[in-house]
Amino acid sequence: MKEDLLSKSELTIPIERSIQAELLLLLGQRPSHGYELIQRLNEADYKSGEADAATVYRNLRRMDKDGLIKSHWEIGESGPGRRLYELTLQGEESLKVWAKYLAQQKTNLEIFLQAYFRFEKSLSERQGG
Amino acid sequence: MLDSDNTLRIIHAGALERVVQKCLEHFSKQYPEYSFEFTAVGSREGAKRLLLGEEYDIIALADQALFAELLVPVLVESYFVFAADQIVLSYNCSSKGSRKITPENWPEILLKPQIRFARSNHHLDPCGYRTLMVWQLAEIFFAKPGLCSALEAAAIPYFTYPKSLDLAAALSKGQIDYAFLYSSQAKQLGLPYIALPAKINLSNPAYANFYDQAVVSVDSITPGENVIIHGRPIEFAVGIAKASKLPVLAKLFINFLMDLEGNSILEECGFIPC
Repeated sequence: MKEDLLSKSELTIPIERSIQAELLLLLGQRPSHGYELIQRLNEADYKSGEADAATVYRNLRRMDKDGLIKSHWEIGESGPGRRLYELTLQGEESLKVWAKYLAQQKTNLEIFLQAYFRFEKSLSERQGG
Repeated sequence: MLDSDNTLRIIHAGALERVVQKCLEHFSKQYPEYSFEFTAVGSREGAKRLLLGEEYDIIALADQALFAELLVPVLVESYFVFAADQIVLSYNCSSKGSRKITPENWPEILLKPQIRFARSNHHLDPCGYRTLMVWQLAEIFFAKPGLCSALEAAAIPYFTYPKSLDLAAALSKGQIDYAFLYSSQAKQLGLPYIALPAKINLSNPAYANFYDQAVVSVDSITPGENVIIHGRPIEFAVGIAKASKLPVLAKLFINFLMDLEGNSILEECGFIPC
């Protein structure tokens, strides 16, 4: 695989897969509008890459349509009104499923890495011997 | 019960022309007893027209900050952010150097003597002052001192194109090689473009602090005075004039724009619905 292709897949695939889980978690912590969510997402310790506005708003609309979150227009006290998003009960359930899925993925990755390190060790032993 | 007057007047950013037209195509069918008028302007000019006493029901501007700066609370009570966008460098099929241009080398290409490039008037149009901000941020991002001044000196005089809509038309006709436009405009016109790095294209709220470094001075509503504008993520906003004679219909139109059908139209037109 070419280097640029590798770096592209490393950056984009995890974002597309996990951004909904990340947004659900942020909204579980507190209701937010899209502008603030983009900022919070990019400041989060677990961010998997740069989250752009188009990706975030597209996923918010999709989750709103699917009933995972709900939204209403909030009039700004000193600034503009914005669409405010909050987590629904269905969204809470979805977040739990995501957490289970990610925990399973973590376990699978750890098992894979253990196997890989054993392989790497045996390879260096063979080359050394 | 709807209001008694029968013409809804909308003044909007030129960049929103197709969105407003498409929304009205659908919306007007639901309210055949009303007529609709819309006027495309540079957004700063649009806000100034309201201040000078021109009467409109709905104001849709390319920069949400204009509401707080010029219209709220005297002329507009509240306003809503409904779409986001980014600045891109657009060209046409005959633009010189377009085969070689990239998101990294565009400053060198534009500064070649035979290249004609332009931006809209920053005193009238947010796309104009946002382009100046992009140039300032590019100077920092690419570590090229003097880049912004060099681009200003090499560009076609800023007053040639009052608003980005005029600039997009000139680019479509091949009168210029490159134009700094909103991504949505390039998409609507089928014009090719290069996307600029997110740190300079004013698209991402995550870079709001970085964008804030860019500063542009524009004419104030008070003749002879200037206003300083800082860079911020691009957001379009809409509000209802306090003096509207059709506040109920105006609210219904804004609801349409900000709901599912309006969002679909915004997406079709290349905007990011917020």
